[in-house]
Amino acid sequence: MLRRINGILEPSLKHIQFKNSQWICVSSTQFKAKSFSTSPPKPEVQVKKNVSKAMKAYLERAREHDEFMKQQTLEFQIGKRHLANMMGENPDTFTQEDVDHAIKYLFPSGLFEKKARPFMRPPEEVFPQRKAAEFDETGRPYHFLFYTGRPNFYKLMHDIVDHINDAYKFEDTMIRKGIKPDPNLALELSGYQWSDKASLEKELVEGIGDKDYEAFIATMERLCDLPYSYRSKDFIFKYRKPLMSHEQTYQAPRPQYDADGRAFITTYECLRKRARGHVTIRAPGTGKITINNEEITYFKDVQPREQMSKDAL
Amino acid sequence: MFSVVHLPKKLNKSTLLNTIRLSSTVLQTQDTVPTLPDAENLQKNTLNHPDYFSVHNLFTVKDLFDARVHYGHRDGSLDERMLPYIYGSRLGHIIFDLDKTAEYLRRALNFAAHVAYRDGIILFFLRGAQNSHLVEKTAQECGEFAHTKFWRGGIFTNASKQFGAVTRLPDLCIFLNTLNNVLLQHTAVRDSAKMGIATIGIVDSNCNPNLITYPVPGNDDSPASIELYCKLFKMAILRGKEKRKIDLQL
Repeated sequence: MLRRINGILEPSLKHIQFKNSQWICVSSTQFKAKSFSTSPPKPEVQVKKNVSKAMKAYLERAREHDEFMKQQTLEFQIGKRHLANMMGENPDTFTQEDVDHAIKYLFPSGLFEKKARPFMRPPEEVFPQRKAAEFDETGRPYHFLFYTGRPNFYKLMHDIVDHINDAYKFEDTMIRKGIKPDPNLALELSGYQWSDKASLEKELVEGIGDKDYEAFIATMERLCDLPYSYRSKDFIFKYRKPLMSHEQTYQAPRPQYDADGRAFITTYECLRKRARGHVTIRAPGTGKITINNEEITYFKDVQPREQMSKDAL
Repeated sequence: MFSVVHLPKKLNKSTLLNTIRLSSTVLQTQDTVPTLPDAENLQKNTLNHPDYFSVHNLFTVKDLFDARVHYGHRDGSLDERMLPYIYGSRLGHIIFDLDKTAEYLRRALNFAAHVAYRDGIILFFLRGAQNSHLVEKTAQECGEFAHTKFWRGGIFTNASKQFGAVTRLPDLCIFLNTLNNVLLQHTAVRDSAKMGIATIGIVDSNCNPNLITYPVPGNDDSPASIELYCKLFKMAILRGKEKRKIDLQL
């Protein structure tokens, strides 16, 4: 039942050798190679570089993208000059601000959503940025978690576990020395919350799923719960955002004093539906209410009378 | 145990080597074969050499025993295809034959070193939270790759869609366990077989070794064992890379 290892060895070796058929001569200036740029090629060794299909495809796409962007930029410049002429301005001094004004004037739009309104912007802002190559010219990816599909996210998780392991190790040494963690140094996390999924995604430049985000929060919480988590404070606070402060200091308006020495405050433009009125409150009061030089009977209904007297209190 | 010196002269060298590998628990030494300077011959030479990277002295059977590699699962969960590799059962648990494990592990290490020597991409796999950080760290330290997370289908079989472009796939997958959980085999085992990617797999007594190119029977759960495997594969890969630098004068 033993497997014929040597029989299997042959096809797998063929698989490895396939790259040898793709040796391609490339001048060393064409690529910014990490491994090859540092050492100049030795004279007796023929300079051959193994360019993978992946890199060739990437270079092809990059070239196409550059050509496309060049064409778009050209069209944008011509369009801008046309627009300047239409508006009767000097095309050479026509700025992007002028373009925006002109578009707003020529294509007035009542659409609520600003993104849906017509615009004319440089192609670099309109078309998405091309993704940089994630592998070198042999097709070997740069990131050690590349094949997971979300290298940055999983690298972050890897780093959290690194910090957890460090904290465990430190705790062990402290226990061996018989030292207890200092409660004063404990991490104070109130007033902060974890960065939300959208901002985390933005930071990682990767889309992550809800479950992944939950795993991230759970792992982070576990790190924070450790007695020596304060040693990873900088790392943790990279992913904590301060809560908005709800206590906005309320400045009470200062009372003014009339000729008799009585304090009063006037608030202008108090609104109720379309009605506007100025309200003056005096202290010490007499209990008298004056509305447009009339008494509280100015209001014919009971309800506004009650509402007004309650508001005044 | 017998001494190598008393063996009859008619035995050829490779049988001799194999005998040493199978029988001994002492450190293995490797005599050097003269290398030819020519580049093409060099390639042939490295492949014909029984142990070009001297990976055989990386460990002894005693090391395997100390790392608890011989422990299998309970004998009720034995996969029949693992029968050739087991020594027996003790207190209801499968025990692996470590002499066989050592032989298979050395072949696997040799292959891994050869792939690293040819600048192949090596991808480490392991499911399970307990050991995955260690595996990722190992992969990072030897400049290779790791995938210890949920396997989204089609990473190999539909790579250009998954990565948004033509992507070079790994040349060797090393599975430090081949199961997703106690029942299911890792999908990447099947996918590597589909794509013709060579695989090395640590197969425990409840695993199926059939789709693995280089199965290594042994315990795939204990952290001590995983640590040992990680150390050995890392050293083998680094030796391959070191030799590459020397031979290609990089």
